[in-house]
Amino acid sequence: MTASQHNLLDVDKLTISYQVNNRWIAAVRDFRLELQRGQIVGLVGESGSGKSTVALALMRYLSSNGRVERGSKLTFDGEDLLRKSNAEMRRLWAKRIKFVPQNAAAALNPSIKIGRQVTEALQAADGLESHDAYQSMMRIFHDVNLVDPERVAERYPHGLSGGMQQRITIAMALISNPELLIMDEPTTGLDVTTEAVILDLVRGLIAERETSVVYITHNLGVVAQLCQRVVVLYAGEIMEEAKVAELFQQPRHPYTLGLLSSVPKPGQSKGTAQLQSIAGNPPSLSRIPSGCVFAERCPFVVDICREEKPPLETLTDGRSVRCHRWQEITPTLNPSPIKREGLLSNNTPLPSLWGKGPGDGGGATLMRVTDVKKYFPVERNLREVLGRVEPTPIRAVDGVDLQLRAGQTLGLVGESGSGKTTLARVIIGLEERSGGKLELLGMDVRNSVRERSHDVLSKLQMVFQNPQNSLNPYLSVRQALRRPLIKLRGFSPAQADAEALALLERVNLRAEYADRYPDELSGGEKQRVAIARAFASDPDLIICDEPVSALDVSVQSAVLNLLAELQEDHGSAYLFISHNLSVVGYLADAIAVMYLGQLFEVGEAHELFHPPYHPYTEALVSAIPVVDPAHRTERILLSDDLPSAQNLPSGCRFHTRCPHKIGAICADEEPPWRAGEAGHLIRCHIPLEELSTLQRTLVLSDKAD
Amino acid sequence: MLHFLRRRFLFFFFTYLISSLTIFFLLRILPGDPARVIAGGREATEEQIAEIREELGLNASLPAQYLSWARDFLRGEWGDTIAFRGAVNRDLIIERSINSARLALVALLLSVPLSLALGVIAGLFENKLPDILISLLTLSVVSLPEFVTGLFLINIVALRWGRSELAQSLGWWFPSSSAVRANASFAEMLPSLWLPAFAATLVMLAYISRLTRAGVIEELKRDYVRTAALKGIAWRTVIWRHVLRNALLPTITVIAISISWLVSGLVVIEYVFGFPGLGSLLIAAIERRDLLLVQAIAMVTVTVILFANLSADVAYALLNPRVELG
Amino acid sequence: MRALTVNRAYAAFRRTAAAQLRHPQSALGTVLVAFFLILALFGRQLAPHPNPNDQSHDARVAPTLDLGALQLGEHPFGTDRLGRDVYSRVILGAGSIFRIAGLGTLISVMLGSALGLFMGYQGGWVDEVIGRVIDALLAIPALLLALVLIGIIRNLDFAAGSWQAALADNVILLVISVLYIPVVARVARSTTLDIKTREFVEAAEIRGESQFYIIFREILPSVIPSLVVEASLRFSYAIFLVASLGFLGFGARPPSPDWGLMVNENRGGFYQLTPWALEFPALAIAVLVIAVNLMSDGIRRAVQKGA
Repeated sequence: MTASQHNLLDVDKLTISYQVNNRWIAAVRDFRLELQRGQIVGLVGESGSGKSTVALALMRYLSSNGRVERGSKLTFDGEDLLRKSNAEMRRLWAKRIKFVPQNAAAALNPSIKIGRQVTEALQAADGLESHDAYQSMMRIFHDVNLVDPERVAERYPHGLSGGMQQRITIAMALISNPELLIMDEPTTGLDVTTEAVILDLVRGLIAERETSVVYITHNLGVVAQLCQRVVVLYAGEIMEEAKVAELFQQPRHPYTLGLLSSVPKPGQSKGTAQLQSIAGNPPSLSRIPSGCVFAERCPFVVDICREEKPPLETLTDGRSVRCHRWQEITPTLNPSPIKREGLLSNNTPLPSLWGKGPGDGGGATLMRVTDVKKYFPVERNLREVLGRVEPTPIRAVDGVDLQLRAGQTLGLVGESGSGKTTLARVIIGLEERSGGKLELLGMDVRNSVRERSHDVLSKLQMVFQNPQNSLNPYLSVRQALRRPLIKLRGFSPAQADAEALALLERVNLRAEYADRYPDELSGGEKQRVAIARAFASDPDLIICDEPVSALDVSVQSAVLNLLAELQEDHGSAYLFISHNLSVVGYLADAIAVMYLGQLFEVGEAHELFHPPYHPYTEALVSAIPVVDPAHRTERILLSDDLPSAQNLPSGCRFHTRCPHKIGAICADEEPPWRAGEAGHLIRCHIPLEELSTLQRTLVLSDKAD
Repeated sequence: MLHFLRRRFLFFFFTYLISSLTIFFLLRILPGDPARVIAGGREATEEQIAEIREELGLNASLPAQYLSWARDFLRGEWGDTIAFRGAVNRDLIIERSINSARLALVALLLSVPLSLALGVIAGLFENKLPDILISLLTLSVVSLPEFVTGLFLINIVALRWGRSELAQSLGWWFPSSSAVRANASFAEMLPSLWLPAFAATLVMLAYISRLTRAGVIEELKRDYVRTAALKGIAWRTVIWRHVLRNALLPTITVIAISISWLVSGLVVIEYVFGFPGLGSLLIAAIERRDLLLVQAIAMVTVTVILFANLSADVAYALLNPRVELG
Repeated sequence: MRALTVNRAYAAFRRTAAAQLRHPQSALGTVLVAFFLILALFGRQLAPHPNPNDQSHDARVAPTLDLGALQLGEHPFGTDRLGRDVYSRVILGAGSIFRIAGLGTLISVMLGSALGLFMGYQGGWVDEVIGRVIDALLAIPALLLALVLIGIIRNLDFAAGSWQAALADNVILLVISVLYIPVVARVARSTTLDIKTREFVEAAEIRGESQFYIIFREILPSVIPSLVVEASLRFSYAIFLVASLGFLGFGARPPSPDWGLMVNENRGGFYQLTPWALEFPALAIAVLVIAVNLMSDGIRRAVQKGA
């Protein structure tokens, strides 16, 4: 039998149930997939869509409370996997079907050396002698670009960076040259720069080996960059399946349409267009509606959608869609960009406000951050105790100058470990600064919240990253909102009650939410309440620390829109921290780029996506997985080991990873700030004109509409 | 690693200091006159009290008293017993400690393998029949006070079955009483040891096996177990090589903690069985108001426990690669 | 608003109760504990001979309890060698064990959790020092510490009616508190350390809330579930300890109807004469300890599920 005669993987009518409290709940219903050899198919869905369940079912490795229902079909290379014994499955797992897990740190055994864990996989696959196994391991480590493979093999997982751990799980999966690879969100949780490197690596390795891949992700950008076909999953059902190019050009399902337009594209900003968003929340799996699962949130819903479940219709050329009205929806495809007034920052000429130079304070300066430092002390080791040496502290924030303008948004970006969250916590007063000065409207701001005046407290507020933890589970929404009103604005209880309801309305939540508790709210709703709480004291500056990164894409955009609207109404300024450049690019008026405790570039938001950039910014921008398969950028790949903040590189802190390093000067001398147009500042040894010639425009802005 | 060990050792000394201060000052901070207590309470004459006061150095300042007491303890000068005329505290305590150590050793040898096995089986079969049976066993039989199980063992096993013909034919394995000479050799003592040791085993069985079970269940849920299984190796290998290695590591600490648990249990068990160990000596010392002897016993016990904890921590650090080296 | 909080507490209680019922073992445990609690509260009404030291009966009467015929008879559990009704003594003994163990648990949970919350939230050197002292205290075996404390206090010489004398009379209560306050404090502290890093606590700090408000209004509710579990565990250990001390002769003094003491008084040679005088109180201790353990197991399961 030749490969062309049947699909490598053939899945049909796959239904998977879980037993919860003695009830069987169908988490995935009627799933189908045909995968040919050498093909990469993306499986996209939000949390709760059932995508990971599908991944485990394809491996035939469901947890003990899960089962594949009767009538499901799951064949691999013509063989029925559902009829295989455990021993037969083990042989397939050993050699032909491999799995790359999401969280590499947890997926490696913490108490066994890397080398042994990898050779164990090899021996299961080929029964190799240990010497041969070691040689193969070195080859595969080389293939996944591990630096110093001999030493890595001798180490335990906890000593390796996230990127290296993920390389090892990929090496472990590829080592037997499998025919099928199931990858379950392998880059989620990694930094954009590392993600770009890993994706690049995966693409190359797969192409060499002609492996077929099912790639599971929530990130449409990753799909656009990596896959040939894509399956969109929602609440356990396929909504749409298509070739990647077709799906992104012309989505047929309202859900896909919503998803695509809710992701901010680089260059898109709050001034040019409001983000589309999908209202509401996915249905609970224990109460699946009898009609279309998306009906509750669908803008195109008609009566039949609620009554009858639409079939998964196959259109031309293998394209499928599950919608009653797909034919009518297509023309309304491109939502016209909404012009919004009063927010355009790029047509007001700006004084040079961003950065260090003295004398650039305009009347609009809200907060001035001068040479702020935050060092964390390190416990001394024995030699330092004996030698009475003070150990080098961890320099999380090391001399940052910033100015925030009233009513505008400053975006702060950087990888994890860049010190951006520490800077935010120093400004809000949750961490005491080790040096430097903070001025809010000309007033000196004390170190810690406990020392700050009532006035300063009410002017500074914060929205946290994790909505799960930002509301007290034992206080109702009303109680959560009343307290800051009474405490910071001196309202009477009756006034506070009325105002709490008004706040809820402003964040688009109905009054009945006042009596709910956090566990009765979805993630997006919790974040809305947290935003309402931050606005309760009518602050001048709100620090938003990754406020949407824990939310699903379809909910993210609604929260971003809300933040933009509230800013327009209240005139509050935001310090918006995010690792996601597209999100920052959408919301911010100006952006600061942080690396290892220092700023390396500041400038107007739209300036930042064009050369000249700082080489680090260039790498960050090039790493954005753009939601457009036609858009292939040449990535600037950085090595994935961020130097430790305790042992910082000399000279320019970026020189160890810089692709444009010019020589010894980078390692020896701190780079100067160089000024470009409109207050654009870059800290680099290379003059800006030269940088411009070295760099190309990576992202086209859609400003030219 | 060095850093970790340094912290551990510092903690050991600090704990030792606090415990010794506690033991020492229990006699001082509480209202009342220790000299009067030692002299025999209300019936003591003023001269007797004054004499004891002089002898114990109670007229010196408190810190000076503590220092001289601590120095004497470390030198092994633990004073003369009042409770057992003519004996020296040190000799008495050493003799009884050896007996208790024998009992504890037999109990540990019985209970640790048994409870690890039960815990692992229960964990692997979570909420299935073996787990439910083991849980019922550990919960009901084993959470009983030591004196109840002890009396049960004496009255049923030793007195009723021990006098049956079958038991008589088995010879020394069925002693009708556990009374032994305090200075008997290990071999002589062994027949009388196993019954109290079994009672002590029951004390620890529940504790260790439940923690082991929880450890196994927790590790089974980890992602690396899935990774190992999906390598295509046998499930048995996954359990032995991957799960148990991580699940049993914390049990080292648990065993050390259970030694402290065992000490409490042994006090009661020795009393029930009339076994001449440190625990029954403690009770006798308290009953006879021999406060110096009580102090010395308490210090010896605390020393043993702290050393057990320290060595467990060091062993854990050596075996666990997650504790950073360097 | 207050009503809502009460509703919430009631819902949590119902969830716990439902979880207890789902597991027959825990339901059995809870029912048995309730049964003993009734004995403890209404012992004087329920016992046929409300005076535990009534010696007016024949000595060494064998139990008249007939389980087959469901009859209690004159002396269901027999009489001891002094002619006291064992059945009445067992019923009357429930009161003292519940009073001492229950009160001791309550005191140690209240003081221990206040201490732990304060340490955990405060952090820094206060936490470090108290934490180390607690660790050191916990290194001394509980029973050893209890025996030494009781041994010393009992032998001290107090003027009748003075506060020291009152203290000496309640020495076991004191011992339970001293032993368990550090344990509870440690649990409360570690939960507090976890909770205080949550963003809702930081949000309260940003509003400039007082320490008192943050500890009791923001943190305490989230610590209560683990305190409830710890309290039920402490209660079972306290019963265990009270019974053991009674048995060793360091608890209640004769002739009180203390279960541990009754077991001790009737062992050895007396066991051959009146085995029932030992067996019934021992059985009562065993059943109560198992019941409390089953109940606390159920509480732990319910609370962990809810978390």
